[in-house]
Amino acid sequence: MMSLLEAPRRVRLKVIDIAGGEGVRRRLFSLGFHKGDEIECRAQGILGGPVIIKHIHSGVTAAVGRGIARKILVEAVDGTP
Amino acid sequence: MAPPSAPVAIFIGQPNCGKSTLFNALAGHKAQTSNFPGTTVKHTHSNVNIGGRLLQVIDLPGTYSLNPSDPAERVALTHLFLEKPDVIINVVDATLLGRSLELTLELIEMECPLVVALNMTDLAEKKGIKVDPHKLEALLGIPVIPTIATRGRGIQELLQAALKCLEADCRGAQPPWSGDVEDEIEKLIELLPQDFPCVANKRFTAIKMIESGHLFCNAFLEEINPSLKNSLDEVRSELERKRRLPVYEVIAAERHHLSQRIFEESSRVQRRTKAGWQERLDGLIMHPLLGYPIMLIVFLIFFLLIFKVGSPLETLLLKPFASLRAVLQAWLGSRLSFHLADGLLQGIGGGLAIVLPYYIPLLFLMALLEDIGYLARAGFLLDTFMHRIGLHGKSISPFILGFGCNVPAIVSTRILESRRDRVLTSLLIPFIPCSARTTVILALVAFYLGPYWALGFYAMNVLLVAALSRILSLFFKTPSPGLILEIPSLKIPRLKNIFMKVYFQLKSFVQFAWPLLIAGSLVLGLIQSWHWDKTINTVLSPLVVNVLGLPKELGVTLIFGFLRKELSLLMMLQALSVNYQDLLSVVTRDQIIVFTVFISFFIPCLSTFAILWKESGKKIAFLSAGLSISVAVIVSFLVRLVI
Repeated sequence: MMSLLEAPRRVRLKVIDIAGGEGVRRRLFSLGFHKGDEIECRAQGILGGPVIIKHIHSGVTAAVGRGIARKILVEAVDGTP
Repeated sequence: MAPPSAPVAIFIGQPNCGKSTLFNALAGHKAQTSNFPGTTVKHTHSNVNIGGRLLQVIDLPGTYSLNPSDPAERVALTHLFLEKPDVIINVVDATLLGRSLELTLELIEMECPLVVALNMTDLAEKKGIKVDPHKLEALLGIPVIPTIATRGRGIQELLQAALKCLEADCRGAQPPWSGDVEDEIEKLIELLPQDFPCVANKRFTAIKMIESGHLFCNAFLEEINPSLKNSLDEVRSELERKRRLPVYEVIAAERHHLSQRIFEESSRVQRRTKAGWQERLDGLIMHPLLGYPIMLIVFLIFFLLIFKVGSPLETLLLKPFASLRAVLQAWLGSRLSFHLADGLLQGIGGGLAIVLPYYIPLLFLMALLEDIGYLARAGFLLDTFMHRIGLHGKSISPFILGFGCNVPAIVSTRILESRRDRVLTSLLIPFIPCSARTTVILALVAFYLGPYWALGFYAMNVLLVAALSRILSLFFKTPSPGLILEIPSLKIPRLKNIFMKVYFQLKSFVQFAWPLLIAGSLVLGLIQSWHWDKTINTVLSPLVVNVLGLPKELGVTLIFGFLRKELSLLMMLQALSVNYQDLLSVVTRDQIIVFTVFISFFIPCLSTFAILWKESGKKIAFLSAGLSISVAVIVSFLVRLVI
């Protein structure tokens, strides 16, 4: 298990937990990111920029700031390189 | 106005679901649209006539759910209850059906007549998602009409369905949730007293009380009905205990699973293994390194294109006005009639020959970038820098709107969650060069000193905004909440939509701004013929001459910049009584730069000031005016020293 910040790019990841407060969790839910969902980290901005995450099934793409990315705990899904 | 009896239909949907495009297609382009979440932050009213029956339609800001997290979403929720709609039209993005249905389910809970517009069916099919509207209709129990808003398809059918729904009273059937959750909700419903101030219905009220904790009326429940408050707390903790989740997540999960199930049952999904062009392009333009040079190139092309189209047109169009002016001067001398005629000519000619050649290409390219979806991506790339200046990437959206016009930009700060970010962004927006100021910059700096000087001017402007933000954020200690910004998929823009957008913005320029320009020029003509300008100029001369090093005659034009920034440009020519082409015979190039700097930064224009007052209060509006004046004086003085 690792935070989204440490996750490799373009690898299927499973959301294990969102450690943020109610506000952050609600906002991520409403965008369609839930615990157990599979996501992919598409890009990371330079110099502490945000992380782009993509929901594997719905295709929803969102930019999340570093502070929030640190609180999203993920693990790599087996079977992907 | 529609008679009060005309039924009210409300458009509601998640951000960027094409709601405003759909609304425009039927109501005649009143709402602002873009491929950027959060463009509609105010509600828009319109009346439509469907086969002799009037319907009032209202477009609301996009909202992900009925649990608002920012003021724009709160607007949506407030109006949903205030307007007491006769029918709700829920616009659903077919490409994101699973997520969009969560809002639909919440709306069904309200038990209000409801119609679903299944929008973007064309894009969904391209993505490999085929939704069966009949099946969806059966599962939800309400009419589902497939639409393609960008092509105007399905709109008549949608309106017909809405009218039919009014008569048939289609309220949908609430699919039940998991048994244990239902039990707890039922328990609370039983306990609600007969006279309890319910919203919509008992079940909806009970659910909202359970999921919204402190947001809803729970806060004062303790005082008016302590026993109900106790039962509510019991129900909440029981749910948390059963599911080992915070209670709002229990409810959110119920809606989520249900909408996923409905999505899976009503749609066939064929996953495309090959990455689409959008993905490959996205990988390039959002590349952590390549993205930046690409962004620079995009904005460089944007800027040069406007200049390359605008300046030859300007030169061409100015000629007849210059000769007309010479004829007038020879004929009327310098009597009152000449000053008035000259004012009129400068107002009309300036608008046509100086403003429009730059304004039209600017609007066109802005609309193009918006509709493609590039602006949200620029927001991602710039987030890093925004953090360094004390803001985050979500503020990019108001900033970028600010390049068009500061007024909607300030309104759109409502999409920001915290007041700190809203005030800070609103204070900075008046320093963003809006299209009016871009016109001044292009017509003065680029035209006389060359386009690269104008680009340099822009660079300085951006640096100035960054520095100001840095300084201002020192006064706002509370940290800004983190960024969570949806990036909409790239879309091929439709020329028709872009033309419509340009047309409606031009129309509003011709209706509101141009008359102001003409009236301003006429007033200056009067002032000149009565020689009042001398008095004003003398009063202002310590500032204009000593600090800024500009000709004394320009004093009066600076005041009028408060009405509209282009007015100062047109009046400059009038006050110095020269033709545009001969400007350099009376002022130096350095003076042109100082003048442009001062005009750009000094005082937000009247409309911006008014909207600041309305959105953030008197204090912020005056703070902004004071800030702008000091910055304008200091920066133009510094610029004068440097060049």
